[in-house]
Amino acid sequence: MGRSSSTKDAQALFHSLRSAYAATPVNLKIIDLYVGFAVFTALIQVVYMAIVGSFPFNSFLSGVLSCVGTAVLAVCLRIQVNKENKEFKDLPPERAFADFVLCNLVLHLVIMNFLG
Amino acid sequence: MKNLSFLFIFGISFFPLLCFSFDPETPTDRRVLVLLDDFSLKSSHSIFFNSLKSRGFDLDFKLADDPTLSLRRYGQYLYDALILFSPSTERFGGSLDLAAVLDFVDSGHDLIVAVDASASDLIKNIATECGVDFDEDSSAMVIDHKSYAISGTEGDHTLIASDDFIQSDVILGKTKIKAPVIFKGIAHSVNAANNLVLKVLSASPSAYSANPKSELSSPPLLTGSAISLVSVVQARNNARIMIAGSLDLFSNRLLRTAVQKAGSPDKYEKSGNEQFVTEISKWVFHERGHLKAVNLKHNKVGETDEPAIYRIKDDLKFSVKIYEWSGKSWETYVADDVQVQFYMMSPYVLKTLSTDGKGLYHASFKVPDVYGVFQFKVDYLRLGYTSLSLSKQIPVRPFRHNEYERFITTAFPYYGASFTTMAGFFIFSILYLYNK
Repeated sequence: MGRSSSTKDAQALFHSLRSAYAATPVNLKIIDLYVGFAVFTALIQVVYMAIVGSFPFNSFLSGVLSCVGTAVLAVCLRIQVNKENKEFKDLPPERAFADFVLCNLVLHLVIMNFLG
Repeated sequence: MKNLSFLFIFGISFFPLLCFSFDPETPTDRRVLVLLDDFSLKSSHSIFFNSLKSRGFDLDFKLADDPTLSLRRYGQYLYDALILFSPSTERFGGSLDLAAVLDFVDSGHDLIVAVDASASDLIKNIATECGVDFDEDSSAMVIDHKSYAISGTEGDHTLIASDDFIQSDVILGKTKIKAPVIFKGIAHSVNAANNLVLKVLSASPSAYSANPKSELSSPPLLTGSAISLVSVVQARNNARIMIAGSLDLFSNRLLRTAVQKAGSPDKYEKSGNEQFVTEISKWVFHERGHLKAVNLKHNKVGETDEPAIYRIKDDLKFSVKIYEWSGKSWETYVADDVQVQFYMMSPYVLKTLSTDGKGLYHASFKVPDVYGVFQFKVDYLRLGYTSLSLSKQIPVRPFRHNEYERFITTAFPYYGASFTTMAGFFIFSILYLYNK
């Protein structure tokens, strides 16, 4: 009895989450997809490192940090361009995107130097 | 005039042959000073002296209290070795004293000291400085009621027969000394703190040191195998010293006498003394057991030149030649226990050198994964042989930045991930900007 009700609750919760997410603007959905891609790539590398060992450790670090950095920067962009976020309502989305591009350039410059 | 200059050049060219001095290329001693209490010893010990002369030694006999005695002149030593057959001398004549004798040894010269029951404090002090302590009781002699030499009269058993030799081919020669050595003299013990002293001839377990003429009132201080009859020292500078508790050991009388050890059926026509003193004097005067190492070489495997520096993980080859002086020429030395160390504060590599049987010792090894200033070290210390101690400094550097692998296969997924995120960023930017 309790079990089936909790399953139902979970289903209801999941359903409401999906319908709420469907209302999210497309540009935020793209950012979410991008973050998911970065996290997925980072996970693959961690698993690979666990298998073959940490020998070129600098390469491993730069590989993983490029993914983590990408994800972090994308999340920051998402916070800044979200219309519902009142904190950044004075910041134009073009400016936010320009910041994001600049930070990414710096990140990848560092990563390339550290890679090997 | 022409004739004169020819003579001069002729003389100059023979000059090196005239200099019979101790030098590293011919380590055998040449000039020996023999100090005696009186010249009758010259005839009573003539067999020993003649054997030395026949081996090319230049013996200079002097009385121990000769006022012209001197070991050195103008800072140069006049002799290569000293034989002290003057046990009862209280003071040497001339400029010779305890300190002069010790300086003589400290500068790498050899010394033979023989004493008897009349040993003076001076001679005992010389022995003490060499790590040998004679019995304090001046009337004591070595007595052995079990392994004495059987002679016509029963006697007091101070003429003892000993065959307890040190097990060393290099000190006593390859031929085994079969007959026992006859000994009549005083006992000494070797200083336990001094590990350079070796007992060459020890007394039997039943021997003790006491006055043979009086009854024993207290247990003797020196007993059994702790008593050394003949000891040798090889100092760290390879100077060799022999200390014998009996002057008679070298005498013609004991060299020529027949011997039978008490309790043993074997009777020998001649005692072992002659062989013993001849062989041990060969050792003391560096006619045997003197090593030299030359041609220390090292290079990378596959090259012949000696590099000024090695890199970590280089494969290198090390070789050295070791010779032994036979008294006349340098013979190849063959052993399987010579080791080389690759040393920086502690040995990082310790490897036994393999030999080709012709004196060449070699080993190959990999330079350890540590950089710094290393040394090749060969420390070879073996009983009876002179010590070999070589070291050669060589720096070891780490990899240069361009000596590493450019791309590591294991790291390819990481390279891929970095470039993928870069490409992802590019695609994301296009999608984000043109999604309307």
